[in-house]
Amino acid sequence: MLQIESLSCFRQDRHLFKDLNAKVLPGQALQIVGENGSGKTTLFKILAGLFEEYEGRVITSDAAQVLYLGHRYGVNDQLTPIENLKFLLQLNENQLAPDALEAALVRFQLRAELDEPCASLSEGQKKRVALARLILTSARIWLLDEAFSALDAPGRAVLSEVCQAHMACGGILIFSSHQAIPEFASAAQLRLEAGS
Amino acid sequence: MMLLRRELKIMLRSPAGAIQSLMFAVLVIALFPLAITPDPSQLEPLGVGLIWVVTLLACLLAADKSLLSDYADGSLEQMVLSDYPLWWVCLVKSIAHWVSCGLPLLLMAPLLAAMLAMPSERVVWLMASLILGSPILSLFCTLGAMLTVGLNQSSALLPILIAPFLVPTLILGTQWATTGGEAFYGYMLAALLCLSLVTLPFAMAVVAKIAVSR
Repeated sequence: MLQIESLSCFRQDRHLFKDLNAKVLPGQALQIVGENGSGKTTLFKILAGLFEEYEGRVITSDAAQVLYLGHRYGVNDQLTPIENLKFLLQLNENQLAPDALEAALVRFQLRAELDEPCASLSEGQKKRVALARLILTSARIWLLDEAFSALDAPGRAVLSEVCQAHMACGGILIFSSHQAIPEFASAAQLRLEAGS
Repeated sequence: MMLLRRELKIMLRSPAGAIQSLMFAVLVIALFPLAITPDPSQLEPLGVGLIWVVTLLACLLAADKSLLSDYADGSLEQMVLSDYPLWWVCLVKSIAHWVSCGLPLLLMAPLLAAMLAMPSERVVWLMASLILGSPILSLFCTLGAMLTVGLNQSSALLPILIAPFLVPTLILGTQWATTGGEAFYGYMLAALLCLSLVTLPFAMAVVAKIAVSR
């Protein structure tokens, strides 16, 4: 479970958002909606624990691990997709089956590029490397900031499948997106009003 | 260990940064006798100081390279959110800085010393002072890089901010080597190394949290 209680945040002397309330139960999704600059990324950083200057409370059920994927998703240009994925997973997990890494990347349609440095990959392909982490992670709360952008239609389809599977297992999904995602049209929405 | 392995792997695949600071040091030492004087009796008293200054500047030059890329691609955020203690992540960053900058310079020091006509017993003390001193430089440089990463014009701010903290190491290191190993300077340098090794990773951890919240 993840609960937000009267959350307010000031940044650069203005109210980014004020008095937000939301509650997400296991198996549910929450879409964060708002214009550019309305504080979506800051809200994600607060939920991930990266940004601590806020008022109000964020409550997560104990021992629920959080996975945060932001605009910058941690894929190093010098390492290959496999090495990147392995590193990102090892930051939080102990055990990894070696074949699982490759299978996860293949599911995101990265097959030929597995042993090339990520510098030669396109932006969308790098994003897929980061997203492949979702397939293997044991984190229960996913925070996906604009994860659906920069992906082509097949990539988006795989990502929504993976997200739906996560929710079916009782996981929590919090995401933001400027495009409509049909699979999550019924998700609860949290609207951030532009600065006041 | 896997954090360190990653750092070394990235360094080996893009060695330009390490080579740049090494080339800088070698060039300065090679040009110095040409510009001032090739006379060994005049170069000899300057040798230790020159090599130390060049080492210090080379460390500053390389300070923010790997951290900037980790900040830009979001790896730093992920490392802060990882299960690893943040001080360990920061210590690994310092170790990687030392391996890419301090260690090559240390290995190169006998050659640099020969270029400045340094007598061989002083080379031994120069090496000893660099072995104790260069890790301190790496720790402070990484702290400086953490402080300025993500700021505008961070590369210009970093040397101004961190150079004063490197001065004690410079003084102790050069004095130790030029006095031919007077115990007082050696003990002080060793004490400074121990002190920075146990305190700076924790300072860096605090700073890293601020860096990723920007």
